[in-house]
Amino acid sequence: MRLALNVFQWLLLILAAPLAHGIIAQAKARLQRRRGASIWRPYADIAKLFRKEDLVPPSASWVFRVTPLVLFGAMASAAAFVPVVQGSALLASRGDFFLFVYLLALGRFFLSLGAMDGGCAFGGMGASREALISSLAEAPLLLGLVAVAILASHADIAGMVGWTLQQNFFKISAVHILAFLSLGMAVLAETGRMPVDNPTTHLELTMIHEGMVLEYSGPSLALVEWASAIKLHAMLALLIALFAPWGMAPHVSAAPLLVALLVYFVKVGALMALLAVIESSVAKLRMYLVPGFIGVASAMSALAVIFATLVKR
Amino acid sequence: MQLESGELPLSFLLLMLGAAVPMVLVGSRAKGARLLAAGMLIAACLAGSFVAALGFWRTSSVLMDFTGFTPFPFTLEIDRLSALFLLLICVVAVPVAVFAVPYFEHHCPERRRNWMWIFFSWFLLSMIVVVTASTGFAFLAGWELMTLLSAGLILIEGDSAERRHNVFIYLLMMHVGAAMVVASFFLFLPYSHGLDFASIRAGSAVLPPAIRTLIFLLAFVGFGTKAGIIPLHLWLPRAHPIAPSPVSAIMSGIMLKTAVYGFVRFAFDFLAGGPSWSGYPILVAGAVSGLLGVLYAIGEHDLKRLLAYHSVENIGIIYLGLGTSLIFLACHAPLWAALALVAALLHTFNHGLFKSLLFLGSGAISHATHTVDLEELGGLQRRMPVTGLTFLIACCSIVGLPLFNGFVSEWLTFRSFLAGAALMGTKAQVVLPLMVGVLALIGGLAAACFIKVFGVAFLGRPRSTEAEHAIEAPLAMRGGMTFLAAACLLIGILPGVLLKPLVALAQGLVPGAGVPPETLAITRVLPWIAVAVIGIAGAAALAAALGRVRRIVPAWGCGLPTLTSRMQYTSTAFSKPIRFVFSAVYRPDRKIVRLPADQPYFPVSISYSSVRTTSYEKSLYRPFANLFVAAANQLRRLQTGNIQVYLLYIFLTLISLLIFLRFRG
Amino acid sequence: MGLVEIAAGKVLSSFSAFLFLTILLLAVARRISTCVLLFSLQSAIIAAEVFAVGFQERLAEAYVVGALVFLIKVVAIPYAFFRLMERLKTVREVKAATTPTQSAFIAVAMIFLSYAAVHSYGQSVHVPADALAAAVALILTGAFLMVSCRKALMQMLGLLVMENGIFLAALVTTFGMPLVIEIGVFFDVLMGLLLMGIFAFRIRDTFEHLDVSRLRRLRG
Repeated sequence: MRLALNVFQWLLLILAAPLAHGIIAQAKARLQRRRGASIWRPYADIAKLFRKEDLVPPSASWVFRVTPLVLFGAMASAAAFVPVVQGSALLASRGDFFLFVYLLALGRFFLSLGAMDGGCAFGGMGASREALISSLAEAPLLLGLVAVAILASHADIAGMVGWTLQQNFFKISAVHILAFLSLGMAVLAETGRMPVDNPTTHLELTMIHEGMVLEYSGPSLALVEWASAIKLHAMLALLIALFAPWGMAPHVSAAPLLVALLVYFVKVGALMALLAVIESSVAKLRMYLVPGFIGVASAMSALAVIFATLVKR
Repeated sequence: MQLESGELPLSFLLLMLGAAVPMVLVGSRAKGARLLAAGMLIAACLAGSFVAALGFWRTSSVLMDFTGFTPFPFTLEIDRLSALFLLLICVVAVPVAVFAVPYFEHHCPERRRNWMWIFFSWFLLSMIVVVTASTGFAFLAGWELMTLLSAGLILIEGDSAERRHNVFIYLLMMHVGAAMVVASFFLFLPYSHGLDFASIRAGSAVLPPAIRTLIFLLAFVGFGTKAGIIPLHLWLPRAHPIAPSPVSAIMSGIMLKTAVYGFVRFAFDFLAGGPSWSGYPILVAGAVSGLLGVLYAIGEHDLKRLLAYHSVENIGIIYLGLGTSLIFLACHAPLWAALALVAALLHTFNHGLFKSLLFLGSGAISHATHTVDLEELGGLQRRMPVTGLTFLIACCSIVGLPLFNGFVSEWLTFRSFLAGAALMGTKAQVVLPLMVGVLALIGGLAAACFIKVFGVAFLGRPRSTEAEHAIEAPLAMRGGMTFLAAACLLIGILPGVLLKPLVALAQGLVPGAGVPPETLAITRVLPWIAVAVIGIAGAAALAAALGRVRRIVPAWGCGLPTLTSRMQYTSTAFSKPIRFVFSAVYRPDRKIVRLPADQPYFPVSISYSSVRTTSYEKSLYRPFANLFVAAANQLRRLQTGNIQVYLLYIFLTLISLLIFLRFRG
Repeated sequence: MGLVEIAAGKVLSSFSAFLFLTILLLAVARRISTCVLLFSLQSAIIAAEVFAVGFQERLAEAYVVGALVFLIKVVAIPYAFFRLMERLKTVREVKAATTPTQSAFIAVAMIFLSYAAVHSYGQSVHVPADALAAAVALILTGAFLMVSCRKALMQMLGLLVMENGIFLAALVTTFGMPLVIEIGVFFDVLMGLLLMGIFAFRIRDTFEHLDVSRLRRLRG
């Protein structure tokens, strides 16, 4: 029964991911006083792209063709670590949040290689900038997770969620606030949202993630877009699970699970609305100011770790 | 000598490497002789790996005593720690030797090829003696031979003035380090009555704390010089790039590890952890080496220098693990000490595998294109598919991505940092979790660097005619590289193969440790991750390939008709953002020369050069060197050339001896 | 225990978390208006702490002081700052000598240092360690602001942040007895600020700018 539940959580994260992109785009449109496209549009986009031709540059090798597959496989596997409606996940094990972060790094590594394989300047530009940002953003991501792990005395995500579930909502500590802020900033950097990167731009000089996927088309582009949606959805679900897991079912039975599912949709919708508000209110940072942004996140997460160890004394 | 289970293969190994290979080669210059020699070397290494596997997986210890033949005690003993390093040496030597057969044929001057093979087999022999020695004399003899033979291997390929200068610096630093190692051995003498390892262990129980600290520091600096921690790394980027690629592979993959072996032997076996603050300097040295090593590597575009700096970085990661283990030992947490030690030793083994694979790959590249400058390469993946695939596997391993072996050791290191938060009331409780951030930064920068390396060298379009006409490496080269790549993948997906005996090894070195559950957890979950990633990727491939058409179409170039290969990102361009952000580390000497100088608005040519100078030479080494030269100049005044002054010296010595006897008696 | 009691009990320790946040953000902020708003937020938190202490110790004058702090530091002084910025027509950027990353790590080091300093003291006297550490960190941050920023307005703000820290330290160690001390320090700083405000105008009128680093030209 638990296995079926874990598989369901995993499939939910993967299949509902394009909806995340759709909801955020709709929220941003409403904030800009537009009607916006339907929230189901990304599904239509993916279906359309699967029907189209796959165009490949003449200089590309098999790395270019294999990159969308590896990226999708890595992101989907990473989604198997995150609990959604109940405090367990498909591939949960001790110390698995390192594995989560490094599976994301695997996908990003291959995406950058695929970008370089295009043989023109845009891929190199996107890969070079992404290399800068992602090399710096791994530290606050891991340190923030470590801070929560130290506080919870558990090294796996399911254990941390279980510990937080037993805490009182009003006992917010400095560790949680700092860790949430620094993880939020790291998530913005990793998933390429404002103010680090503009996900809707098509001006070549401002692209980072879009620059890396410029050469892909057809089913490959569908897989790449879906993979980045899965990444965003999984990271948002991770934030919710670590910092606001109340509402999750304490044991595996039908009624609490349904309630937990509804609560999850409300929470993730609220987080996506918050993300849309942030994206609409700030401008994209100049590229050489992004390391400052990430540096502030690193300092906050280091402070969170220091506080977590001080609390433990 | 008794012929127990491991003795026979070990004697075979030593005999082959020491005597048989040279004897075959001294005779004739024919290629057949060299093939025979290579075959014997490979057979010897296979026997060696058999012995090592016996010692590592089954703990049968082997002892061989040569004291009869040598002036000082000379014994070889294989316990579990030696078996691990012997396994590393033999497992890496086999594919490197296979690779070297065609490589030496093509890249070595005709009359020197035999000498190359002779030195190569003796070099392997010296390293085997170092890791299996169980007396101080054997260890030091092997240590010295290792240095001299590697210098010889570098000089065989060519001895221009610049190469000789680099080899001089290499030998100088190695001898300074060796002097410290000798000193640290000899400091045991008053307490241990003999320099064999058993009596050293017995003697270390009665060492006074001051001597213990001194031995620890001498061992740290002495072995650190050989390992290449910053700021003692100066010889690494000078010596590794100029050696032939198989030799670089052995030097970087194995020789640096003998220094780690020596340090582990001293710190964990002899000194049982050293002084209570011993972990912190190791930790700091590891962090600094890791960060600065990878930052220097990002600024390089010569592939072999870049790989040499990455060796510095990985030694830093190994020292991070060792420092953590020492801290846990001092805080009486043997379980976590064992975990950190397992992490460091596994990273040692993994690094030997993937670094030698990377150097072999650079050898294949230079064989095909006669250059290792990244700015001249490009598009090699389509022209050298097997080389590209194995190089990609090595890149993924060194970055530490899941499903490759580098990830397992980095994960274990992260996990041991996290465990540091459980140490109540110590400095380590705060310091160790913050090291997670440092290691994450190192790993992220390494990923950026290898995206650059693989992307610029193998992907995209060729940037020069040599790269355009590159051909795949010969079969032997490909075979050697494939073996190492397969080993990387195997350990990455099924690490339990190595982890169980490593845990037993750590339990031997750290008394009172149990089995850390993390090792079991990672062994259990990694195959599932592999299944998940490969399965999903395969399913996606099926879904994407069902009846889809694939068309080759030129890349988007803003509407320009032809895109040249100069319009791609170069290695320098790729690393520019990172170099800009970390500009405090790089202090380049920039020069712009405009000709003609008196007509600034109508230049005929403009040249720009940016040379990064290593600041250590100016600020750290020059003052020392100047001090020594000044002291030597002062001492030279004793040599007056006047015979009566020399007679006076003898007379003064006699008088001082008499006074000394008077006051002692 | 009623909700109010719980809230009062939690205020002194939990609110130091928010104070640390304001410290970090002050160190990395790049606009003077952001810094003024952060200062006003800090003062609001400290006013809340004064109210909490008054509720716990049942001191009537604590409420008076708390109201004073709120009116002057949360409303009046930031308003005066904004008026000053408008009339001086000065550039709105904080010209810090360190990059945001460096300032952030310096702030973290200062917070760590204040915890380390308070640790040995807080065990001997019955004092909430978090609040005292926050107070010391505020003092250090004020000093850091005065050292690293070149605008005269930022110097004034640094002085005010230091005063916040001193006020909080006095509050936490004495638990509101006697409040006269705090009022005294408070008015001292107020006078100093009024003088600095007047002088800012005079400096600007004479030299056409408010850049403190250019004072170096006044050497003999």
